[in-house]
Amino acid sequence: MKLNVDGLLVYFPYDYIYPEQFSYMLELKRALDAKGHCLLEMPSGTGKTTTLLSLIVAYMKAHPLDLTKLVYCSRTVPEIEKVMEELRKLMNYYEKEMGMEQNILGLALSSRKNLCIHPSVSKEREGKVVDGRCYSLTASFVRARHAADDAVPICEFYEGFDAHGKEFPLPPGVYNLDDLKEYGQTKRWCPYFLARHTITHANIVVYSYHYLLDPKIAEVVSKEISKSSVVVFDEAHNIDNVCIDSMSVKITKRLLDKCSNSITILETTISNMKENDSKRLEKEYKRLVEGLRDATIARETDMALVNPVLPSEILEEAVPGTIRTAEHFVAFLKRVVEYIKTRLRVQHVVQESPAGFLRDIHTKVCIDRKPLRFTAERLASLIRTLEISDLTDFSPLVTVSHFATLVSTYTKGFTIIIEPFEDRAPTVSNPILYFSCLDSSIAIKPVFNRFQTVVITSGTLSPLDMYPKILDFHPVIMTSFTMTLARPCILPMIVSKGNDQVAMSSRYETREDTAVIRNYGNLLVEVAAAVPDGIVCFFTSYLYLETIVSSWYDQGIIDQLQRHKLLFIETQDAAETSLALINYIKACDNGRGAVLLSVARGKVSEGIDFDHHLGRAVLMFGIPYVYTQSRILRARLEYLRDQFQIRENDFLTFDAMRHAAQCLGRCMRGKTDYGIMVLADKRFSRADKRSKLPKWIQEHLKDTNCNLSTEECVQICKRWLRQMAQPFSREDQLGISLLTLEQLQSEEMQKKIQQRAQGV
Amino acid sequence: MDDYQTCPKCKTTKYRNPAMVLMVNACGHALCESCVELLFAKGSGACPECKCPLRRNNFRVQLFEDPAVDKEVDIRKRILKEFNKRQEDFPTLREYNDYLEEVETIIFNLVFDIDPAGTNKMIDNYKKENKDITQKNRNRQSQEEMELEELLEAEKAQQSEKANLYVNAELEEKKQKHKAREKLIDELMFSDADAKSIVASHVQATAALAKEQPKAAAQPSSGVVKSSKFSSGVQIGLRGQHTNSFLPIPKQEDLPLYRYTAPVFDYDGPPPPAIEKLGKLNYFANIRAANITERAGGYTEAMSCCRALQEALGGLFYSPQLTHKTAVLATNSSTQDTDDMETT
Repeated sequence: MKLNVDGLLVYFPYDYIYPEQFSYMLELKRALDAKGHCLLEMPSGTGKTTTLLSLIVAYMKAHPLDLTKLVYCSRTVPEIEKVMEELRKLMNYYEKEMGMEQNILGLALSSRKNLCIHPSVSKEREGKVVDGRCYSLTASFVRARHAADDAVPICEFYEGFDAHGKEFPLPPGVYNLDDLKEYGQTKRWCPYFLARHTITHANIVVYSYHYLLDPKIAEVVSKEISKSSVVVFDEAHNIDNVCIDSMSVKITKRLLDKCSNSITILETTISNMKENDSKRLEKEYKRLVEGLRDATIARETDMALVNPVLPSEILEEAVPGTIRTAEHFVAFLKRVVEYIKTRLRVQHVVQESPAGFLRDIHTKVCIDRKPLRFTAERLASLIRTLEISDLTDFSPLVTVSHFATLVSTYTKGFTIIIEPFEDRAPTVSNPILYFSCLDSSIAIKPVFNRFQTVVITSGTLSPLDMYPKILDFHPVIMTSFTMTLARPCILPMIVSKGNDQVAMSSRYETREDTAVIRNYGNLLVEVAAAVPDGIVCFFTSYLYLETIVSSWYDQGIIDQLQRHKLLFIETQDAAETSLALINYIKACDNGRGAVLLSVARGKVSEGIDFDHHLGRAVLMFGIPYVYTQSRILRARLEYLRDQFQIRENDFLTFDAMRHAAQCLGRCMRGKTDYGIMVLADKRFSRADKRSKLPKWIQEHLKDTNCNLSTEECVQICKRWLRQMAQPFSREDQLGISLLTLEQLQSEEMQKKIQQRAQGV
Repeated sequence: MDDYQTCPKCKTTKYRNPAMVLMVNACGHALCESCVELLFAKGSGACPECKCPLRRNNFRVQLFEDPAVDKEVDIRKRILKEFNKRQEDFPTLREYNDYLEEVETIIFNLVFDIDPAGTNKMIDNYKKENKDITQKNRNRQSQEEMELEELLEAEKAQQSEKANLYVNAELEEKKQKHKAREKLIDELMFSDADAKSIVASHVQATAALAKEQPKAAAQPSSGVVKSSKFSSGVQIGLRGQHTNSFLPIPKQEDLPLYRYTAPVFDYDGPPPPAIEKLGKLNYFANIRAANITERAGGYTEAMSCCRALQEALGGLFYSPQLTHKTAVLATNSSTQDTDDMETT
């Protein structure tokens, strides 16, 4: 249908629209008009993706000069594929309505592993190996060598792309990963480089977060995206952790040992080269003396190594004299590695700031800050000069060089923690150096600065005001949308006590208490007896899950449970978990019904949907706080408190509640779906926790349902399930939660939508 | 991790003698402490590996895994004492970088014993030429060092400030609590109001205060692991001795698999209208509609209506005179319908 969104003609590829989708478009348009950033929360299953795409594409068509590109960041490959499907639907609709080919090019980009069509390289399973092998076939020096000697293998697909692909742009259309591969096969061009090349002029790019947030990758892939783009981060409730991970480095003893090996390799290669072909080293040296930036850096295939973010004024400077020649640099690296080795030889935990580290490295091994800063770039240059084609071995050394560069560049927002052993096994010596980023705004800052509009959206972003604080930006629009529902499809309840009136809680003091464990068990058994099909339970940690299950065995609760449903458990082993999931789905499909015990923050809680019969009820046993004794977390909390005035407790609760909301949201994947959400902990009923749930859950959480016992909970469930089991058709939804064009345009509805948009 | 460290002279390893400490001297060859004492009892001697003359008081504890690095760092420190020009002493960055490289080359030469005579000459020349600057720079910190010092100072100051702040905040909180309690007691003693209402208002006030400063909910650390069976070390069944607490679902004996055979009916009547058409044919007018509870279970009024019609029409063609043969014929024609009905 064709919509009029605040004066903008939007083609929407479906015949019906949800009212909240329309409000979402209104808000999004306002943000685009204002050229500012926005934060939008809309429940999963209400068609966020298609709403975003149709509005932004319409906006691009209407204002081709203001908005040139959409960069859509998603988390996983399946999610990327889903976005591409929606986009294809939208473009087909455009074509049908306008009757001509649309001049819009949309494409998905993923790693080499997912895009490679080289017959042998694509067989490799590990991403790093594929990258390494690709590099060894396509690096500029390998190709130069091939020109001299035909025996040197190269990739014919890359050659094809290099010879022809650059002149012929990809014809307009929508290309997902498979389409790209197919196109590559027919043309005999490398799809990966084709996609990377096309990014610069494509209208819509869909790829993973890391291509934008990880400075090491962003530099290569997303450098040339213009300012007049809109960037969308979908499922962005964990975006702060992604930012932090992309800037943090972890160094273990084994990694350092590997580094020493690679340094020896470097040494021998240098001495070999000096004997046979000293010209190249001289050339590199001269270039560095001149202070020129690497001319070959523009060669796209050579970019397997890039330095993490450096302020550009530093990059302009010449490499310092201490590390200019290859031998000096290798000796320098050796000193750095040996120094870190000595630092790892600690007996107790050490925490220090980057400044302290720099001072110590200066006094111990006489290394200044400046050469350290250039380590990553110098190493990249050296490896290129030495024409080392197998990069996989060098990844440890690259990690260390990144560490050196980061530690000397940033003095604020980072901390160094050296732990001699893990907390769990204090007798086994396993020293690890964590260079941990405490400030999630560092990694995302360039994104906010560079692009005119950044949209952060997810099903669970509550409490919204936390994100601008921790990401340090000023959104122009910050809105949470609820779901309009024709019937109360979700039933959130807080169960605070068992039938025996003993309070239920996962608090540390009571978690070993048999009464609490028994009450949790009884709750599950009774819910399992009342609820048909699948039930998903979330525990706060693997350890807690396993302790509880083991005592349930003793208490006979498992036996009772198995009379009603089959039981599956998520474990830390990914293969085991996916097997359990497959069988869980099978059991639900059969109508046998099943219970899945899993862990908040685990694989199941992120990204696996339990729609319809797969998840009729979700039980959250306890509040999923993070492990607060971790030193990295402690350091981060302290930093947040000092820099952003966020109190420890606020952040911990925020983090716990967003994960709880993520878990609860698993069972609601659309408007025809329905599900029970049981929060089994006394503490959930406190105002500070309750108010942090997403609005669409809070709306259905009545005061009467906030302090229930097991028995009351089961009664309410039964009554509600009977109501939900009534036949439900589209006609029931029409006019309330699903609108036709006429209904949408009716004055009354417009007024309602306006109100909603202003109210929030 | 240091277990494989070995003294090259007496072959003692760190594993056999944890107290062993390796020492290095100017030449970069390691020796354990007791060997040093033995060999250099006179205060000086030759390195057992490279035979270069060494003094005993120059031996230091080996800091790095690779003694060559120790040697290099040693030389570097010595050289950098002399070669301490700063960037400020050079007109351009380029010249400064050239100087840095020169220093690096000197150190490199000394470490690997390349052209020792030439290098030493270079050092001496430099010393002569730059006596003043070296002397001056010794007392001056480089800009970078100053920056670092400043940063560290700031960090320290911040930390002490924070510590003070928290101590103060805690004290403040305690004081407030104390005050509130005294106030309550005072009021109870001297006020005329109802004691219950006073207590209630006090509870409210403290609750409001507590809301303002919510206590950190202590999140438990990893508890003590009791037994092992799961990946994290938890056994299935805490009291694993009498394991038969788990009652298995009784197993049925293996019987031959059930096979469905369509039942044969003697229907003997005209086929009733199909279940989907009942509504159109207006049969429901005479029947009570299903209520909410029944519909939830999947029941609709069409079912009972269909059943009643089947019963009414079945057997209408039955006559005792007819032989069994015709009955079979009749059923053959109507099996189709009845089968459908079974499945719906």
